[in-house]
Amino acid sequence: MAHTLTELVMGTSPVVIDETRGFWEGTLVEQLRIQVCGACGNRQLPGGPCCSSCLSQDLSWQPASGHGTVFSFTVVRHAFHPSFADEVPYVVADVELDEGPIITSNVTDCPAESVRIGMPVKVWFDEQLEDAFHQPLRLPKFRPAEEA
Amino acid sequence: MSISGDTAIAGVGTTAFGKLPGRSAWSLQAEAARLALEDAGLTKDDVDGLFTESQFSEPLLLHGHVLGRMLGLRTNYLSTKSIGGATAISLVQEAAMAIHAGMCEVALCVFGENAKTGMPMLFGLAQMGRGQADEIAYGMAGGPVMEARSAMRYMREYSVTAEMFGSVAIACRRHASLNPAATYRDPLTMEEYLASRYVAEPLRVLDCTIAASDGAVALVVTSAERARDLRQPPAYIAGMGAGDNLDGFRDPTHYTHFAGARSSARAYAMAGIGPEDVDVAQLYDCFTSTVLITLEDYGFCKKGEAGPFALEGNLMLGGALPVNTSGGMLSEANMTGWNHLAEAARQIRGACGERQVPAAEVCVVSGHGGFQAAHATLIVTNEVR
Repeated sequence: MAHTLTELVMGTSPVVIDETRGFWEGTLVEQLRIQVCGACGNRQLPGGPCCSSCLSQDLSWQPASGHGTVFSFTVVRHAFHPSFADEVPYVVADVELDEGPIITSNVTDCPAESVRIGMPVKVWFDEQLEDAFHQPLRLPKFRPAEEA
Repeated sequence: MSISGDTAIAGVGTTAFGKLPGRSAWSLQAEAARLALEDAGLTKDDVDGLFTESQFSEPLLLHGHVLGRMLGLRTNYLSTKSIGGATAISLVQEAAMAIHAGMCEVALCVFGENAKTGMPMLFGLAQMGRGQADEIAYGMAGGPVMEARSAMRYMREYSVTAEMFGSVAIACRRHASLNPAATYRDPLTMEEYLASRYVAEPLRVLDCTIAASDGAVALVVTSAERARDLRQPPAYIAGMGAGDNLDGFRDPTHYTHFAGARSSARAYAMAGIGPEDVDVAQLYDCFTSTVLITLEDYGFCKKGEAGPFALEGNLMLGGALPVNTSGGMLSEANMTGWNHLAEAARQIRGACGERQVPAAEVCVVSGHGGFQAAHATLIVTNEVR
């Protein structure tokens, strides 16, 4: 645990908290999950302590299809954080899932120049890592999907 | 009595901006505070309200407590706030409200930073990622990476070109060339703009605010009645508005429409004016795209028409709506919007020399930030209308 504080302040791994635990547990079984409100049916990401539509706390995590389209994106060419110095250029994209919510992630497995708004993408799960408290997780990322 | 015109910016203090090695953020804040009080013709013993925003470098909890002790103040109202780029305006609004409510009479509003030569802003940058649902794990670190998604969508939906973004940068640089305090004063051509490297497409280096500046800004806000007896012509606070979209980039409409439409509508209503009455605007320019979207949100242009409006040169001195007459954050200094407020008061005084907008009677200021989520508007005028 020696590096926990440094990792918390300067690290780049997510931190698994109660509100997001169900999401990250899903990634360990290669499932992209959305938080669903039992009272009004609202679907939201990221997870929260209540439904942002009706404030109900009757929430559960449901698997999503893993399909979506690129709503917007950027090709990052300057590493603002030292952890990403070897990654540039990389694509950060907001993916609109078929179920509705928008999730921020990366689009991989294609040239950065080929990414477009509206491009269909499909989730994949990166290798397992640990957060600052040694809780396991896998980052969901997206790659181009076959056009329907 | 309405709060419109009931308070005024009566003192402005700015330090040098840029690289100021050996100057702590506290030292710069103290200098700006002294200059603002001297400008108003007041002493620190007149101050009974303190409104501060903490610096990113050397951040401390209870910033206002610490600065107030350093300045030897005895306050009746103390506030330290952090809502991103809307903080500066929001604090001035809070000062006006506190004065109007009788909670204090002379408010000192202060911000200062030494992130250029002092402790790096990495801590702040890391925290910026943290605030957004672990997005830093995907390399969502740094303001340009966050804002680029908005710029990309805005270009796509409204056929905005790189040259339209560039015309914002060029106007700010033109104004900075007339401002001895500005960091970047060399003229900027469209060729130079287009040749500048991408940091996060579609944003180039020259689309982005100066990354970090050393410097400080302080403002004295007091009642209109008291301001009239002070050293400088008052910049009356005629309109105030605020609006937030805290859902941010989870809301598909948020990429191309900010809460500035709500915020400015409330400010116009309070001031009893409309966009057609505005002589000069200081618009929060963390990015060129932000300025264009704000021009539309504020009713200066119809949706999708701010780009062509800028390209025609309308943002320049002599144009239809001079914007960011100090050079703004793109060319003067990154004072997270505080320099826009200083410039607004100085334009209303007619004290801007070569960059003065003739007969500047109404100035609009926008503040915008915190992942584009928070927005605030201030309208200052030369008379109570």
